[in-house]
Amino acid sequence: MVITVKNLVKRYDDLIALDHFNFEVKEGEIFGLLGPNGSGKTTAINCILSLLKYDKGTIEIYGKPMSPDAYDLKRNIGIIMQNVAVFEELNVYENIDYFCGMYITDKKLRRQLVEEAIDFVGLRDFRKFYPKKLSGGLLRRLNIACGIAHKPKLIILDEPTVAVDPQSRNNILEGIQRLNKEGATIVYTSHYMEEVEEICTRIAIMDKGRIIATGTNDELKGMINSGEKLTVEVLKLEHGILEGVRGLPNVVSAEFYDNLLIVKSTKGKNNLVALLDYLKTKNISVGKIYSEPPTLNDVFLEITGKELRDQL
Amino acid sequence: MFLHNYIYRLKCLIRDKETVFWTMIFPLVLATLFYMAFSNIANFEGFSPVKVGIVDNQELQENTNFLRALASVSGETAAADDRELFIISYVSRAEAEALLQSNKISGYIYIEEDINLVVKHTGINQSIIKGFLDDFKQTTSTVMTIVSRNPMVDQGLLINTIAERREYLKEQPIGMENPDPMVVYFYSLIAMACLYGGFWGMKEVTAIQANQSPQGARISLAPAHKMKLFLASMLAATTIQMGIISVLLLYMSFVLKISFGGRLSYIILICLVGTITGVTFGTFISSVVKRGEGLKIGILIGVTQILSFLAGMMYDKMKYIVNTKAPILGILNPINLIADSFYALYYYDSYNKFFTNIAYLCGFIIGFSIITYMVLRRQKYGSI
Repeated sequence: MVITVKNLVKRYDDLIALDHFNFEVKEGEIFGLLGPNGSGKTTAINCILSLLKYDKGTIEIYGKPMSPDAYDLKRNIGIIMQNVAVFEELNVYENIDYFCGMYITDKKLRRQLVEEAIDFVGLRDFRKFYPKKLSGGLLRRLNIACGIAHKPKLIILDEPTVAVDPQSRNNILEGIQRLNKEGATIVYTSHYMEEVEEICTRIAIMDKGRIIATGTNDELKGMINSGEKLTVEVLKLEHGILEGVRGLPNVVSAEFYDNLLIVKSTKGKNNLVALLDYLKTKNISVGKIYSEPPTLNDVFLEITGKELRDQL
Repeated sequence: MFLHNYIYRLKCLIRDKETVFWTMIFPLVLATLFYMAFSNIANFEGFSPVKVGIVDNQELQENTNFLRALASVSGETAAADDRELFIISYVSRAEAEALLQSNKISGYIYIEEDINLVVKHTGINQSIIKGFLDDFKQTTSTVMTIVSRNPMVDQGLLINTIAERREYLKEQPIGMENPDPMVVYFYSLIAMACLYGGFWGMKEVTAIQANQSPQGARISLAPAHKMKLFLASMLAATTIQMGIISVLLLYMSFVLKISFGGRLSYIILICLVGTITGVTFGTFISSVVKRGEGLKIGILIGVTQILSFLAGMMYDKMKYIVNTKAPILGILNPINLIADSFYALYYYDSYNKFFTNIAYLCGFIIGFSIITYMVLRRQKYGSI
């Protein structure tokens, strides 16, 4: 195991930020920590990194207890913090070199690593720019370069795409996958479920300081009753027909508004066919038809009773 | 790694234009303003002989005692002896009146039955002329009284004896330089500039403390010993502040011509100790004040200004008042100690005062450093 966290408890006065928090990260995976704002993701990361005191629990990285003095462990960890942590007085190259120099003392090797990091995040044209001249997206990329230049085995990214334009977001997500392919284990926290779904090989969903579900994307979706969401465009739908739809096999819920019939069903075969057949027997003309698999939001909704999106 | 951190911290500090302004440009501007203001005061306080007209008539020529008295306070001999009180023009009454009306003389004296003074308006110069005349008349009256009661007395000898002004006290500087109250302002300004090193100390603590900045949090996660990072930061802060103090000293010494007594090695020593006091003062404030950077800067500036005031930077007599009424405030005031050390170098032959002040300043450095260390050694935080 790369990271093992057991029964972690962290309190801020009366508020329990982490409530018997447990999780494990395996070598070579992209582990996603998904949860709404305030769910305790950053607190968990800061505890794991020994920045924050905690009340109870154990944290091990590569099988060794993590502490502020665990320099051997720290040497193998790359951190990209939620708040951009670069120096305004240093340009792009100097910022990366400064942070890289805390890990790599050999100047020649460091120069090479810094250049590679600059290329990796696509800041070659901006290497002499000072941070205040960079856009939000480029600044985030610089923040990432500062965290990965020393080629760490474990990279922890805490909400690296907050307030980032789509182009930079794609660049960042592709970069994370490349780092993983090159051998790094990734811990990725985010409240954007689409990002987590896209890049993470395993996901833990957090709420109120607790892990409420862990697994792969498919495993998480397999934990809930919702199978798919069917959206059918119809001009008019009487109440009796809507009740009939709700009575179809596997249907969990059916709603009609804005000329859209939205049906959520449990896992099962031919749900769409059964729905369309029923509408045909009632002489209902249909327009566009969509079928969507369940999302992590559905998982969050079913487990917690609230929308993940509502919490953002 | 120490050198790596030192170089990058130095780069960060040098490129911080706002702090460079407060620590370097502001004291330079203040020194220039002091120089301009105090030059006028010095000119004002310097004595210039008073231009006076003497009506040259028969009565004057007959009054040899008065002519002799005038000669003693005017002319080349008096100037050579630093006793020149008047620049005299011997003129007719009409010419004297014309000179007075055109403000070319402060007043004129004419003798008819008595010695008379004519002035256009009152002022210091007019008071000086009147004072001279009163003194002369009193002396003359004294002589006349003695002669009338003792006709056998030698009048010439008597007049010489009474008229003679002998100094029984001689001014002897106790140091190498003549005392100059104006240097107090400049020395306390240098002391204030030293304490402005606190800006750098403050910035450095903020840069490495995880609970004070994202950069500090990021640095805390690197495999680097915190105290080594702190020492590199402190060295960078001290380096840049010493550079700034050197610029200020050179500017004052070579451009403004302020005297420092010439003992260079000791001047460097007090600058270094003063700078470290300032830097550690900043780290102390940054460590103990948990609120925002604005509050910290406000406290640093506020405290520095109060200490500068008590050290005589805004009012030179304040230094004397503090030293007589509450001497402990002088010892507890690093700016006063630094300014006093410069003054001791400038004025005293002995180094006792200088090294006593250095010892007190070292006490401050140790105190500030211990408190900073106690706060910085914490590696985990309750919240960040």
